Amino acid sequence: MKNLNSLLAGIFLAVAFPFGALVVSSQVQLGSLGPAPAEEGGPLFPSREPGLAIQGRAVYVSLGCVSCHTQQVRPAGQGSDIARGYGVRASVARDYVLQKPVLLGERRIGPDLANYGARTKDLAVVHTAIKHGGQFTFLYTGAKQEVASERAVALAAYLQSLRQDYSSPEAKLKK
Amino acid sequence: MTQENRSGRPQGRPPEGDSRLTRTESQLRGPFLLFFISSVIWLLAASVLGVIAALQQGSLAGGPFRDCEILTYGHVAAAQHNLFVYGWGFNAFFALNLWLLSQLGRFELRNGWLATLGGVFWNLALTYGVVLIFAGNQTGFALLEFPREVGPVLAVAFLLAGFWPIVAFARRPTGHTFASQWFVVAASFAFPLTYLLAQLLILWQPASGVVQAIAHSWFVSNLLHLWFGASALAAIYYFLPKVLGRTISAYYLAPVAFWSFVLFAGWTGPAALIGAPVPLWLQSVGVVAGAMLIIPVIITAINFHGTLSSEGGWSRAWNDTTLRFVTFGAVAFTVFGVLNAIFSFRGYNAVTRFTSFAAGQEQLLTYAFATMVLFGAAYFVLPRLTGSLWPSAKLVHVHFWSTALGAVASIVALLVGGWENGKQLADASVSFQQIAKSTTSWNTVLTVSAVLLLVGHIAFALNAFGMILKSSAPASAGRHD
Repeated sequence: MKNLNSLLAGIFLAVAFPFGALVVSSQVQLGSLGPAPAEEGGPLFPSREPGLAIQGRAVYVSLGCVSCHTQQVRPAGQGSDIARGYGVRASVARDYVLQKPVLLGERRIGPDLANYGARTKDLAVVHTAIKHGGQFTFLYTGAKQEVASERAVALAAYLQSLRQDYSSPEAKLKK
Repeated sequence: MTQENRSGRPQGRPPEGDSRLTRTESQLRGPFLLFFISSVIWLLAASVLGVIAALQQGSLAGGPFRDCEILTYGHVAAAQHNLFVYGWGFNAFFALNLWLLSQLGRFELRNGWLATLGGVFWNLALTYGVVLIFAGNQTGFALLEFPREVGPVLAVAFLLAGFWPIVAFARRPTGHTFASQWFVVAASFAFPLTYLLAQLLILWQPASGVVQAIAHSWFVSNLLHLWFGASALAAIYYFLPKVLGRTISAYYLAPVAFWSFVLFAGWTGPAALIGAPVPLWLQSVGVVAGAMLIIPVIITAINFHGTLSSEGGWSRAWNDTTLRFVTFGAVAFTVFGVLNAIFSFRGYNAVTRFTSFAAGQEQLLTYAFATMVLFGAAYFVLPRLTGSLWPSAKLVHVHFWSTALGAVASIVALLVGGWENGKQLADASVSFQQIAKSTTSWNTVLTVSAVLLLVGHIAFALNAFGMILKSSAPASAGRHD
């Protein structure tokens, strides 16, 4: 430890080795995942997001929604995510391959949104939820804040596009 | 390191310094004060945002800041987090690490303007990044929220501002090294490496899908352990024996603490992804590494608490301002390590996941440990560099008590509140609305502690800035030769 070079070499290895083993190897393991059918000839999932939803994702990121909402369903036995109705199955890596950026989230100050689109069909309900009782009414105009701005429309489209309720090769749904 | 002791210097103890301002220190003064003053300004800004964020968290509608786009919780929380980490934590450790290694290596900083330039770049990039966060331009990855063009500027600024400790280590006149030096070299070398790789894989050439989240967890754990953790440990290894005037007990174990800390810290990241859609083996590696991190925690506990336990060390530490803060930090690190080892296991983690528990652990590491050590160090270093005394003893008391109480209260609220919250979340029959209601009392505690921290930081800033202004007044201008 008196020698700077060996000290630096040790530190370099201590940083580089976990990087290789954790990050690079998971890129090798998961990097080639793409949309796939659950059974041969079936539809490909996850499906491409509509353009409006991609714009809505940008609104979601810019408002920092990820600081209160997660988008991941844990397997049964770890927490109560499935019992709570956050999803019908645990999330798998393939669900996220088309998302840029991936917004798994770390805090649930608000409910999980991985399957928000699957459980909320009514657009009016989505807009009420976006307003959060007043915090986000700046996304709306009109006397009673009843007219959604372009950003609110995009955000609602994005939220409704969120779903992991399809069968996937790693997580098949029971028929 | 242990064999070579020809200079008659006791082992496990930093060399005795001159009580007057040395040549080494007078060269440091400019860059040190730039880093220090900007760190305190950022700390104040972060604490104001901390109060705003605490007020918002208690209310779905955004509390007093409803319908205000700039001050939505997602903006305030991200800006607060970044200002605290990159504004306060980095600037303050730039200053302290540079001072420490200059002292230990008798290093004369001849090209101080390069460090100053780095500091200016760092703070400008930070300001730009935070303004963009408020303007709604952020990336969605905690502690990498700044838009990607900020990253390279911060990396270059780090190399200019934060690389000097390694130069100081390389140019030290003796072969002898001390524990503080290893830790600071590790911090100064590991961070830029981690930051560049994370920037590349998350923002510039995003990896596919959840690999982004894996890279992000690796980055955050390296940042917290290898920058905050290693830098603050270095400071404790220096100040404890220095101020107490004795050697570190069981100092021969310190190299083991150093290597085990550096070795295991890098693997702990995926423990933050338990239950996430990432490979199971990854999660297990994170759990094991988190548990193994108990080794350096135990050794540092023997080193620090052992040193404090002999000959009335604790009471001396309590009566010395520097040591009071540093000892608080040393105890906090032990608590952090033990909690970290216990709660990385799956059963506990399944409960605390997605609650404020992780924020409590981070607060324990970055505030109760690292920030308190930084405060203690400031009380030691600033009088030497400015040649004047702290203007008000009362403000020192206000500073200690409000930060200590604020830190303990916020950590208890985040940890215990997080645990309770997690228990309710695990029970699917308790609705989300009921859970939100039951966290209200903890949110009140968080708001009060955020105000306490702000008060403490204002007291510290008044005292420090008063002292710096006094020392730069013409009457004492001739004192630094």
